[in-house]
Amino acid sequence: MKAIRVALAGNANVGKSTIFNSLTGLNQHMGNWPGKTVEKAEGKLHFRGKEIEIVDLPGVYSLKPYSEEEKVAREYMCSHKPDVVINVVDASVLERNLFLTLSLVKMGRPVVVALNMVDVAERKGAKVDAKKLSRLLGAPVVPVIATRGIGLEQLMEKAVSEAKRGGECGKPREESTEKAYAEAERIAKECITLTKTRPPLEERLDSVLMHKYAGYLFLALAAALMFFSVFSMGDRLSGILSEEFSYAKEWLSAAMGEGFLSFILVEGVFEGIAAAAIIALPYIIPFAIALAILEDSGYLARMAFLMDTFMRKIGLHGKAFIPMILGYGCTVPACLSCRIMETQRERFLSAFLVTLVPCAARSVIIMGLVAAFVGIEWAAFLYLLNILIIAILGRIAFRALPGEPMGLIMEMPSYKMPSPINIAKTAWLKANSFIWIALPIIIASTVLIKLVEFFGLIGPISDVLSPITVGWLGLPAIAGITLIFGILRKELALVMLAALLGTENFSSALTQVQMLTFAIVSMYYVPCTATIAALAREFGWKKSLAITVFEVMFAILLAGVLARILEAFFF
Amino acid sequence: MGSLSANTEEYLEALARISAQGRKPTVKELSAMLKVSPASVSEMLRKLASSGFVEYERYGKIIITEKGKKEGGRILRKHRLLEKFLGMMGVRKERLHEEACILEHAVSDEVEEALRAAVSEKGEGALKRLSLMRPGESGKIVLVSGGKAARDRLMEMGLTPGTKITVRHTSTRHGPMEICVRSSCLALGRGIAEKILVEVS
Repeated sequence: MKAIRVALAGNANVGKSTIFNSLTGLNQHMGNWPGKTVEKAEGKLHFRGKEIEIVDLPGVYSLKPYSEEEKVAREYMCSHKPDVVINVVDASVLERNLFLTLSLVKMGRPVVVALNMVDVAERKGAKVDAKKLSRLLGAPVVPVIATRGIGLEQLMEKAVSEAKRGGECGKPREESTEKAYAEAERIAKECITLTKTRPPLEERLDSVLMHKYAGYLFLALAAALMFFSVFSMGDRLSGILSEEFSYAKEWLSAAMGEGFLSFILVEGVFEGIAAAAIIALPYIIPFAIALAILEDSGYLARMAFLMDTFMRKIGLHGKAFIPMILGYGCTVPACLSCRIMETQRERFLSAFLVTLVPCAARSVIIMGLVAAFVGIEWAAFLYLLNILIIAILGRIAFRALPGEPMGLIMEMPSYKMPSPINIAKTAWLKANSFIWIALPIIIASTVLIKLVEFFGLIGPISDVLSPITVGWLGLPAIAGITLIFGILRKELALVMLAALLGTENFSSALTQVQMLTFAIVSMYYVPCTATIAALAREFGWKKSLAITVFEVMFAILLAGVLARILEAFFF
Repeated sequence: MGSLSANTEEYLEALARISAQGRKPTVKELSAMLKVSPASVSEMLRKLASSGFVEYERYGKIIITEKGKKEGGRILRKHRLLEKFLGMMGVRKERLHEEACILEHAVSDEVEEALRAAVSEKGEGALKRLSLMRPGESGKIVLVSGGKAARDRLMEMGLTPGTKITVRHTSTRHGPMEICVRSSCLALGRGIAEKILVEVS
């Protein structure tokens, strides 16, 4: 039997991915800001014995091919001809959403409207009559609350029965925007009953959080809070794990005895796991949690609003601030999310800046090395310096690639209480991907480096690099090899360093300036191979390699200069 | 007053412009201003003199009569009004003067009245750029100008002419603003907001 093909379409930030995840059990990125889903995602589910293929399309406002996402959605509709389109609609912004609904219905393929966020609409004082709406649209309407999974069963039932109906080959009809909106307005007016509400909390929150002075104060406070809570949570976790692992190691090496195999197992495999668990994981998880809260609450879009003036100075606009904040988590998805920018020039500029933002793996080095062993104020200094450097390089890049950005046009999402389940899930996914993707690389690398060490090859390799590492940067010779490993994954540089030094207590082997220098190099030379690949995919190999070469040279130059300044004036 | 030719009106406007700056008009200055030869200026001045707008004799002083002052002032007013209006409509700054020069001769007194009401920025039916509106103010969208990409995006997000728009938040002078339209809230950069003309209510 042929599978039923269902497409999820709708405006940005109406809950398509939430519905997709609940239906398929997959984990599409969720968050409360418009433009998260940049590429269509596909999944499968079984419903009442039927196989259903479901596609989550990026959010669009119309089917006219004005933007990248709209092209993706339009092409999918035209060439794949889904059996049924589930049009997800935000009930609290019904009129605007209906504009797309009308063009979908007119296309001729069966449409089922998922009237989402009926709870939010009611809170805002609008009650939508689903039956009336269905009659006026000529398409079934199912009220749902996607975040709580309410109504999804009925939604699928309707979708399956509509799919059977079949429809003509749909082609988006060209119609005047004004005319279509007039119709949307008329339908919305007929279906909505306005109820009285007291001035919502949202208004009062925004008057503080978006205030022209207080807003920035709050932004700085939020950043500082995030920084300190991540550090204190990570530091405590790291301390506990460090103790546990050192007992385990003692026990293990006693049990294994001497010999090559035991050396590889204990010093390679076990040490790799231990270093990853002690150094990396404790900081990566809190970072993921902090970012999930930012994304979920709706504050991220407010940050973009506040930063618009600043971002315009580097030839971009407020929306580009969103990928940069995401960059504090992982550079790869942050680069992809640069697609929310309107032109190729803006996308490239923002992706370049995103690669300079210290991702969670680089923060592992800043937190685990600098904050833990030099001082938290020095870690804060590195983050602030980073913002300054991004501003300066952004300004220079803007000069090199001049042009007028289109200007900020962004929908402001409603505030939402971050869902603890969502956040726990994000943290769990992050831990999971760390264990299954990062950990094998870390273990393999530790084993490899221990083999290199065992055969006495560390010296020769280090010697080749020593003019840069020792001569210019003033680092111990073994640091060179760890920095090379760092290009696989940034935290690996520190994990390798621990493995080669034979301790996680870095202050016993490195001076404070050396630790700062090591962190600075790691912060700025290309994020990692995954980022290089992502950049190549988005902008081509030439641009990707250009960024790579530039950042390697910039990192070495900057760290060497700063090492001399720090040595001369501060330590 | 439609009897005056466009060329005559140009001369009267130029004369008004010069005397508004408190200077005495000369043939040389007029010829530079209107980009015509001194000989043509001189000939035109004689025509204007015969119509009673100026007192002029070859190589002599140019004196503007009361009648000339009135006519010139009227055209200059229309010119300035048009510049302001066209600016609101999103016409580029460097084009404003020239476009106004062309249009000013075709504006009747009635049209002038209507334009003046539109650009007054006060009272019923006043037009205002969105970027100049304050939080809490609202009105109807009259026109969305600017680049095609931005205009298309705004239209599909529901900012069609005639739609009610309310300002929710503003920020610094060059910063963005938040507006509500069709019950959705949008953040708009200042450059975008400048291109939206609103009839304030």
